[in-house]
Amino acid sequence: MHRESTPPDREMPFMTKRLLSGLLFVCVIAFSSTAFSMHAMTAAGRDAHPVIPQIRHVFVITLENKNFSATFGPRSDAPYLADTLRARGALLTQYYGTGHSSLDNYIAMMGGQANNPQTSADCQTYADFHQTGTAPDGQVVGQGCVYPASVKTLANQLMDAGLTWKGYMGDMGNDPARESATCGHPQLGAPDLTERAEAPSAAVPAGDMYATRHDPFMYFHAIIDAPVCNSNVVNLRHLADDLRSISTTPNFSFITPNLCDDGHDSPCANGEPGGLKSINIFLQKLIPVILNSPAYKQDGLIIINFDEGGTGTIKESNTGTVVTVDGASCCQQQEGPNLGRQYPIEVKHMSHGRLITTRTLSFGGDRTGALLLSKYIRPGTVSSVPYNHYSLLKSLELIFGIHEYLGYAGQKGLVAFGPDVFTGN
Amino acid sequence: MNRTPGPTLFSLLRWQPMAMMRTLLLVGILLSAGALCVTARMRASAPPAETSQLSPAASLGKKIFFDPTLSASGKMACATCHNPAYAYGPPNASAVQYGGPHLKSSGYRAVPSLRYILNYVPVWTHVQDTNPIEQLAEADTAPTGGYTWDGRYNSLHAQAMLPFFSTVEMDNRSVNELATKLSQASYAGELRAVFGKDIFAQPARAVANAALAVQQFELQDNSFHPYTSKFDQWLDGKATLTPQELRGKQLFDNPNSGNCASCHIDERGANGAHPLFTDFQFEALGVPRNNEIPWNRDPRYHDMGLCGPFRKDAASKDPANCGLFRTPALRNVAIRHVFFHNGRFHSLREALQFYVQRDTNPEKWYPVPPGGTVEKFNDLPAADRKNVDTIDMPLDRHPGQKPVWNEHDIDDVIAFLKTLDDQDVPERMNALGAETAHDSAK
Repeated sequence: MHRESTPPDREMPFMTKRLLSGLLFVCVIAFSSTAFSMHAMTAAGRDAHPVIPQIRHVFVITLENKNFSATFGPRSDAPYLADTLRARGALLTQYYGTGHSSLDNYIAMMGGQANNPQTSADCQTYADFHQTGTAPDGQVVGQGCVYPASVKTLANQLMDAGLTWKGYMGDMGNDPARESATCGHPQLGAPDLTERAEAPSAAVPAGDMYATRHDPFMYFHAIIDAPVCNSNVVNLRHLADDLRSISTTPNFSFITPNLCDDGHDSPCANGEPGGLKSINIFLQKLIPVILNSPAYKQDGLIIINFDEGGTGTIKESNTGTVVTVDGASCCQQQEGPNLGRQYPIEVKHMSHGRLITTRTLSFGGDRTGALLLSKYIRPGTVSSVPYNHYSLLKSLELIFGIHEYLGYAGQKGLVAFGPDVFTGN
Repeated sequence: MNRTPGPTLFSLLRWQPMAMMRTLLLVGILLSAGALCVTARMRASAPPAETSQLSPAASLGKKIFFDPTLSASGKMACATCHNPAYAYGPPNASAVQYGGPHLKSSGYRAVPSLRYILNYVPVWTHVQDTNPIEQLAEADTAPTGGYTWDGRYNSLHAQAMLPFFSTVEMDNRSVNELATKLSQASYAGELRAVFGKDIFAQPARAVANAALAVQQFELQDNSFHPYTSKFDQWLDGKATLTPQELRGKQLFDNPNSGNCASCHIDERGANGAHPLFTDFQFEALGVPRNNEIPWNRDPRYHDMGLCGPFRKDAASKDPANCGLFRTPALRNVAIRHVFFHNGRFHSLREALQFYVQRDTNPEKWYPVPPGGTVEKFNDLPAADRKNVDTIDMPLDRHPGQKPVWNEHDIDDVIAFLKTLDDQDVPERMNALGAETAHDSAK
């Protein structure tokens, strides 16, 4: 049975309620005696649910480009996610992406930095971010892709807190001429040849569907310049071994499937169907492995989200095709200092003699939904509280007892996962 | 660091049942669909003198590759068109080569070089974004891969079968006919030793294994991937490019100029691997019709690459694929005398001029009917001309605009492209020339 969590203070204005909740949350953490362990907090006047339970192992699995209704609506092509897992966890019905394209979303999740023209175009050339200043909420001003070493990520925060992390990347290193098997990225200043999936060949029988733009760690010098990048950003095949014991399971695992398994492509370079069908197959294999791991059983949390929704419309006419991308956002998401666009924006190009006009209405990433699994979540929980990738980052920081919010994770009034999600024991 | 060779024979033999099925199917298709590739009048040059460490199958494949007795004419081998002295490309300036029983049957397309890419050709795919909005919003979803100009073969083994049965090449009319020739070849004993003493009891298996042997030769022999060009030495810090060559590379690379490197990739791989100068993607350039090709005398005949006439699968039914051909690799391009899929141009300069002047000076390249307008992209049916790339630099120009390169720039680009010539090529060509002169004296 699905259970909609009930806002506890019905008479209180929504934003005020969230603000108070957030402030109280921070206060409790600030006085917590341990750095990262339990942040059990009891909201005044609420029931006594532990808001942030004693989670020590988080697995984020980020999939690609699906709007909420396609994934979680009726007749979903991913029934394992939409039905089976949904019944076991918490569905966040109002979870939003933060950008259109892929990379800007991943950077938001890992570093809290807002979109810029290059990251919103998936950084076809893997080039440095040239910083020209700073802006409120920890935003760096400038243009480019790979942020300077002064810009920190959740991974840096975890290391500072003495916690462990790893990025598990599907297919990374399958073709060593395309990217290395650890910390795989193009050379700085070079075109990103991983923008397209590579089909199998005699030399690379499995093909290579790793995409640098889906690997957030690769866009921060604070990661790629450190030796830890090679030990911590590895091929997904290593996850199963790492899950064998609690001591080898990182506190934070960020899992990016290859371009087929994450649903980006359809059909895929390896001949598989892709889309939600391949997502379903992938999750059916992966999720039980995590669920059965000692670390998850002890204190684990799985977060399955999507980078963006790609919601919009396509209208054909005699003069061409007009594609409208909504770019909707939630949570009072800000555009940030670097995009500098006046929405709606319009881009035209010709394709096979036909004029394609793409109208993007705003800078957001549209509604995707997300699903969380944990023993601290009551099966069948449904939350309609709005969240986005910055909320995710803030939630992860809170879970791990980190007292500094990166970038827009520190946006005033931003809500982290709370008692609407963590409803179990 | 150079790229590694392909899979071993052992690994391929593990797939043999499937390969056999594919082979039988392929032979059927070839026999029903008719001729496909290209042929040559002249004999093959001698096999490369140096032989790397080849497996028994590859050594056998080498003999098959150079054996003209396997053809209906008795004068055509694989090496006739793919001549090692010309970097396993065509040895002359003929737009297409000629084969069949009397070496008079015209081929259809220009012969590509076999050097470098064979291990790395991905299977044919047309990957697309799942999200239909992204499919439309993002223009770059070109089909990729597969062997030959239209990518219709997904394995080198399947491609290696092609010339044996093409009526415009070696022109064997049945598996039995070719198996009989193999059984009478000087290396028939080696075929038995490598593939089993009863190999000729099953003609289809004999032919399939012969193609497998050729494949192993192509994958294993260093002459197919020597990496001895000045460019390779420059990448390894053992040579210096001249200022002109460096200028040429800059023009080649610059996305706002030649933009060549966006398809003909010229950067090292992540592991330092030297580049192949192709991304294996399909592209429609709208090369002018070539009346040198006898088939083009029929105005109803159109070579539309990915959508036919030779490709017959579902991809060929997609009108958006008409006119697209796979991007060729450019190593040793400067020694060629035929360019593009239809061999329309016979000098590298002319090919480069077309590339940068196609849209600024279309009257120079396409027919202009009296009183009419330039008939651009005239090698394609009118309905398919919309597929030609007019988006990517420098193909987005218009009449009246300056070409992105002037003649001086083209000199520089040619100088750069000449650095892609393997060192053994002039040696082999000189050796072949001496041999030819000697033969003439006789």
